[in-house]
Amino acid sequence: MEAGLGGPAARRSRFARIDSPFVGYIVRRIAWSALLLVIVSFLTFLIFYVLPASDPAILRAGRNASPDLIEEVRASLGLDQPFYEQFRIYAGNVVTDFDLGYSYYSEVPVREEIVSRLPASISVALGAFILWMAIALPVGILTALKPRSKTDRVVTGATLFFLSAPTYWLGLVALFLFARDIGRFPLIGGSGTYVPFSDDPKGWAESLFWPWIVLALAFAGLYARMIGENLREAMEQDYVRTAKAKGLGMRRIVLRHGLRAALTPVVTLAALDLGLLLGGTILVETVFNIPGVGRYAVESIQTGDLPAIQGVVLFGALFIVLAVLVADILYAVLDPRVRY
Amino acid sequence: MSLHTWRAAVALGASFALGLAMVGSGSGSGANDQHKRGGTLKLISAGDVDSVDPGKTYYSMGWQILTAVHRPLYSIPADSTKTLPDLAASLPRISADGKTVTVRIRPGIRFGPPVNREVTSADVKYAIERSFSVSVTNGYVGLYFSDLVGYPAKPPKTPKPVSGITTPDKYTIVFRLKQAGTTLASALVMTNTAPVPKEYASKYDQKSASDYAFHQAATGPYMFEADGSGNIKGKGYTPGRRMRLVRNPSWSARTDFRPAYVDVVEVRQGFTDTTVGVRQILNGVADAASDYAQIPAATLKQVVTTPKYRDNWYAWANGIAYLGLNTRKKPFDNVNVRRAVNYVVDKNAMRLVVGGPLTGPIATHILGPEFKSKGFEAAGGLGFDPFKSANFAGDVAKAKAEMRKAGYANGLYDGPAITMYTFNASPSPQAAKVAAASLAKIGFNVKVKIASPDAMFTKFCVVERFLPEICTLGWLPDFKDPVTMMDPLFSGKSLNPNYTTNMTGLNDPAVNTAIQKTKLIKDPDARYAAWAQIDKMITRLAPIVPTQWTETVTVISDRIVPGKQLWNAGLVDPAFTSIK
Repeated sequence: MEAGLGGPAARRSRFARIDSPFVGYIVRRIAWSALLLVIVSFLTFLIFYVLPASDPAILRAGRNASPDLIEEVRASLGLDQPFYEQFRIYAGNVVTDFDLGYSYYSEVPVREEIVSRLPASISVALGAFILWMAIALPVGILTALKPRSKTDRVVTGATLFFLSAPTYWLGLVALFLFARDIGRFPLIGGSGTYVPFSDDPKGWAESLFWPWIVLALAFAGLYARMIGENLREAMEQDYVRTAKAKGLGMRRIVLRHGLRAALTPVVTLAALDLGLLLGGTILVETVFNIPGVGRYAVESIQTGDLPAIQGVVLFGALFIVLAVLVADILYAVLDPRVRY
Repeated sequence: MSLHTWRAAVALGASFALGLAMVGSGSGSGANDQHKRGGTLKLISAGDVDSVDPGKTYYSMGWQILTAVHRPLYSIPADSTKTLPDLAASLPRISADGKTVTVRIRPGIRFGPPVNREVTSADVKYAIERSFSVSVTNGYVGLYFSDLVGYPAKPPKTPKPVSGITTPDKYTIVFRLKQAGTTLASALVMTNTAPVPKEYASKYDQKSASDYAFHQAATGPYMFEADGSGNIKGKGYTPGRRMRLVRNPSWSARTDFRPAYVDVVEVRQGFTDTTVGVRQILNGVADAASDYAQIPAATLKQVVTTPKYRDNWYAWANGIAYLGLNTRKKPFDNVNVRRAVNYVVDKNAMRLVVGGPLTGPIATHILGPEFKSKGFEAAGGLGFDPFKSANFAGDVAKAKAEMRKAGYANGLYDGPAITMYTFNASPSPQAAKVAAASLAKIGFNVKVKIASPDAMFTKFCVVERFLPEICTLGWLPDFKDPVTMMDPLFSGKSLNPNYTTNMTGLNDPAVNTAIQKTKLIKDPDARYAAWAQIDKMITRLAPIVPTQWTETVTVISDRIVPGKQLWNAGLVDPAFTSIK
């Protein structure tokens, strides 16, 4: 049955051949992704050019600066150039050197700033992702196999609660109740305690404990519900009935046949969510004072620091585009019915 | 300018005799005289400094940190308002015609690593000259240094010599002025007078945006932790994340009044939730905050009303909060309408939403208690209140009378809605809403719009074509002389369509002349008396509604004996604070 639906042997040959539809599809997707990045970049540039929250030249020159100084700064930053010229220079630098320019505020290269902050954002996003999937999978399976049971009702209630609770509020509650430094029942972690994994693995894990929990709680219930619903649906399909008739064990039926089909739509959502989080978990990084890309985004927007905003948006878009690409590839692995 | 960030210093000359009064405090924060040496001072902040370049920084937090790292010609020790020679060896000598200022600097002061040589007057000359360049971009030099002979009409891209600054010998620096005045002598407390070694810094200053800040050479007791080449980025300073100051091995305590008790100063940034930050301070995880000018009223109340925290806070007066009325736009081009607004605003209610009396007395004119002095009092500078109302709650009847004088027959405004911009951080929006409600009593429909401080100070409240009818603003004096308030805020010469600090657009010939004349007065009493008269003139013209002479509450941990930068909103001074 598997081979007939495009099983492992067929997939191997699709990956191997350069002229295969799959490779063509990937190439087309990459080209579209590149175009999407250009459009996103252009739109961001346009928004901040047409509706700037603040004047970068005055920002750079400092308050009380003389009009002469402001105009000199404007010229030195190239802000006196027409919009299309400014964008051409920016896009050219990005394409040729991946140069995202300098922050108007701190005068630090934006690329350097984002790259140095990526490990923190990746740590938050990946850790939370692993945690919420680790919660969602077993709970989802349990609710699918025992509908309307106590577990199912508890999961439904918890899902509603954590979906309704704003992440920022949950973070503050976690801090004021359980943070080691300011909590009423001090346990672990706190605000501004982040240390890189390379410096102190234990400290890294401790500092990210609450951010992971808060972020995972916001997602786990939703994913558990989604997995449960999909699995319930899959378990009613003919091929599952056939598998049962063949005498396969329940464990094998669920894991090999039901779950595989149930996870396909989840993968798309998970890829998008993960891509979004990799681009910066804004609220969690802000409330727990984690020096990631999300916090950089907030600071840049507050100061109207256009190069920094551009850089963050570009990186965020890049992650989402990559995540969607990966999701599409995973589709082929998970669902043999997918054709390109 | 912004009460969030604007720095304040106390100056020379007229300020020597002045004293500031502690206006509110927990009881014992500074009572312990047993200062111990060593330890780490742990500061936190919501944001970053504007710059760590001594030639550029202008905000409170920048000054808090950099005055521990650099030695300007003159400085003010913690817990004092008296200016002392710092890098300078003595007070400035001003010539009889008032056009030449001579300063001797101390011998034996050395740059820290990697420069490691004695400071000379040429280093001060270069430091000031570089601050005039586009590559450094200093915002305030045009206000305070433009009287120098040879001050560039157009800012040079990179540092260029200025003929009005000469160094006859290695310990003497002479400033020649186009006209007599004391403003420049007062401004020698600014950090752009801290020495910069030209042979080392010029390669960084030749870039379109100088990065000397990341390679700076210290003269103060502390330096940013650096690698072997002097690079501080990623070591002593990671923008937006942290700072770490360590002892400067070239500093000698014999030449300095800074005690420099602690070994290390750490600043962790990003604590944007002030409630979490304050809690960390009270729990001793951090010792103080560097930019918590506005703590939410509920948190503030909790701190000041809890007995066990009585030693964990102090308040200090500095600056003014006001509603700026755009005199170039209808309806505020009419002085009677402006006076009506001054009468009707419920200042008491505005103060209550920002935290009550603890946040400062209600302002009835411009120059506040920090300018109290013999000359100022003699001229009736304090207590002036031309728009009296019972309990400062506003007087609707008098306001309507002024509106009738302005041509509104029933005393109510009947024109289109007006716009008020305010800061986006609590409690500013709440205070703005109270002000809008007050104005509604005389018919105004006020649309309150909120914006970040950067948006307000680079666009909405400084560029003529974007100016609304009202901006809620604040201003801290740069140094202890009213010129630093009156000149930028109300002088016609500050007006420029592309950028102005005179948001109200006031351009009154009598006020302009009086400001120019007063700037030339050298006698402190006469000078302050003249400023008091100008204060009255402007208050009667009503371009602003003074709402509060603000006081900043600083929360500190139990771990420290703080030195307080009274000239800088009372911030904890890293070079004067010790660990218990």
